[in-house]
Amino acid sequence: MKKSSAAIVGSGSTPYYFRGESAPQTMIELVCKAVKAAVADAGLKLEDVDGLASFAFGFDTAMIIEQLGLKNVTFAHCVSSFGSGMAGMFDLAAMGVETGRAKNIVCIGGTQQVGRRVGQALGNFAASPDNIFHRIAGLQGPGHALAIQARRHMHRYGTRREAFGEVVISSRTYASTREHAFRRKVPTLDEYMASPMLADPLCRMDFCLETDGALAFVVSHADRAADMPQKPVYIAGAAQVGTSDWGRAFFWMGQPEDEFTSAGAAPVAERLWATSGYQPKDIDVAMLYDHFSPLVIMQLEDYGFCKRGEGGAFVESGAMRIGGAIPVNPHGGHLSDAYVVGMTHVREAVEQLRGVAINQVKDAKTALITGGPAPSPMTGAILRTER
Amino acid sequence: MSEISICPDYTKLDIAMDQWSEPFWAAGTEGRTEMPRCTHCATFRWPASAFCPACHEQGIEWLGAGQARIYSFTILSVPGPDKDAPPRRRIPAVVEFDGAPGVRLVSVLIDAPVDEVAIGAAVEVAWMPAANGVVPVFRMAEGAAPL
Repeated sequence: MKKSSAAIVGSGSTPYYFRGESAPQTMIELVCKAVKAAVADAGLKLEDVDGLASFAFGFDTAMIIEQLGLKNVTFAHCVSSFGSGMAGMFDLAAMGVETGRAKNIVCIGGTQQVGRRVGQALGNFAASPDNIFHRIAGLQGPGHALAIQARRHMHRYGTRREAFGEVVISSRTYASTREHAFRRKVPTLDEYMASPMLADPLCRMDFCLETDGALAFVVSHADRAADMPQKPVYIAGAAQVGTSDWGRAFFWMGQPEDEFTSAGAAPVAERLWATSGYQPKDIDVAMLYDHFSPLVIMQLEDYGFCKRGEGGAFVESGAMRIGGAIPVNPHGGHLSDAYVVGMTHVREAVEQLRGVAINQVKDAKTALITGGPAPSPMTGAILRTER
Repeated sequence: MSEISICPDYTKLDIAMDQWSEPFWAAGTEGRTEMPRCTHCATFRWPASAFCPACHEQGIEWLGAGQARIYSFTILSVPGPDKDAPPRRRIPAVVEFDGAPGVRLVSVLIDAPVDEVAIGAAVEVAWMPAANGVVPVFRMAEGAAPL
């Protein structure tokens, strides 16, 4: 196994807010607060920041450079997909420090839903020849469109709503111990089954939170990481893959059957396992982008934690819980803790590998983080405690 | 008695189209559902676009799509006609066509008994008036057995 060239050496976050309640702070203000916190956590000064990495989720790099008074940014790059690109940001940052393009690259992500809701993202775009059919159909958000994929998964594999319910209940159980998590009450399966349908077969509880916040992570060369104040979290591997069989994902809905009934992550998983030398059994804790509960099941299949089509039964066996086959999102994820486009999952991975997580997986040494099942390129990364 | 899915009003909708998709909408005004096939390698592509993803050539011909069947769908609750009315059901659906393999058309299933909608059910394409043309919607096909 190859030694890591890069490590996450600092982690910073704003508080999380209900949708819109982070106002009157601006998005840039939130991001800059997260950057300051991450840089302080790494024992660095803002003058030390010479790189920025992000994914296409809407803020202005130049404004961050201007606001934070950064004097010498030699690397400023963005993964070209939405939440799907989140984990790929760490690929960019690792490349940047490995090649000497920059020394301290801050990976940034955030969301602020004032006026516009991520959950209605399909309706936020101007009408075009490519999105007109979603408009005719009345598919306003990713949850509407992914409900259609979830139904096909149920049809093809016999996946039950009870499995979606277990994803929700597992997530809430984790969140119940976390003071700042937004949804801490653990529903019974009966309560889950009675939750009102928003986009049949998805009920209200299958939809993630819509919250505001920003997070940032400092990535530095692994040679320097051991001398920095925090226990380093090494980047063991990262992959970004775009393929026309997944394309624009739920903005398209023309994926071949195997892809349509997946989270679109199988090619990323294949590349990630091949390039890192890891296998699913080597992962201690998985941070899976959980915007909608069925997509957790599909990612477990895509990444090979269980066989294709068996994800429902796998989670119903308790696999996601601590002590299960693969603990998933011990922070409660987007479904229960907070939604910040995958960034809260990275924070949890860092806390797990530093050994300071609230719901600590005992001796966790490796963590998987995934970008969201959304337009290509899809991305994933593996973090670890050992270089 | 099963609830019946709504038929949205499209009369204010401006259809966004370009030179590649325009023939689809033009055929619709004559009540025909046609899908684009590559003249070079005979692969259907959707949406209609400048290049064939299979062979990268640009030529296109339009062929009758054939029988449509529901590939998957969702059921949304949407507000009723006024604030006191109960919510109604809107059924966005994705269909496949016997005559255009690989193509999936996304639209809405109208006038359907909500409890009877199923994957594999045969549907017909109906064309509804929009601001600048007609748009395709689906109706359960009369007398066709589900797959």
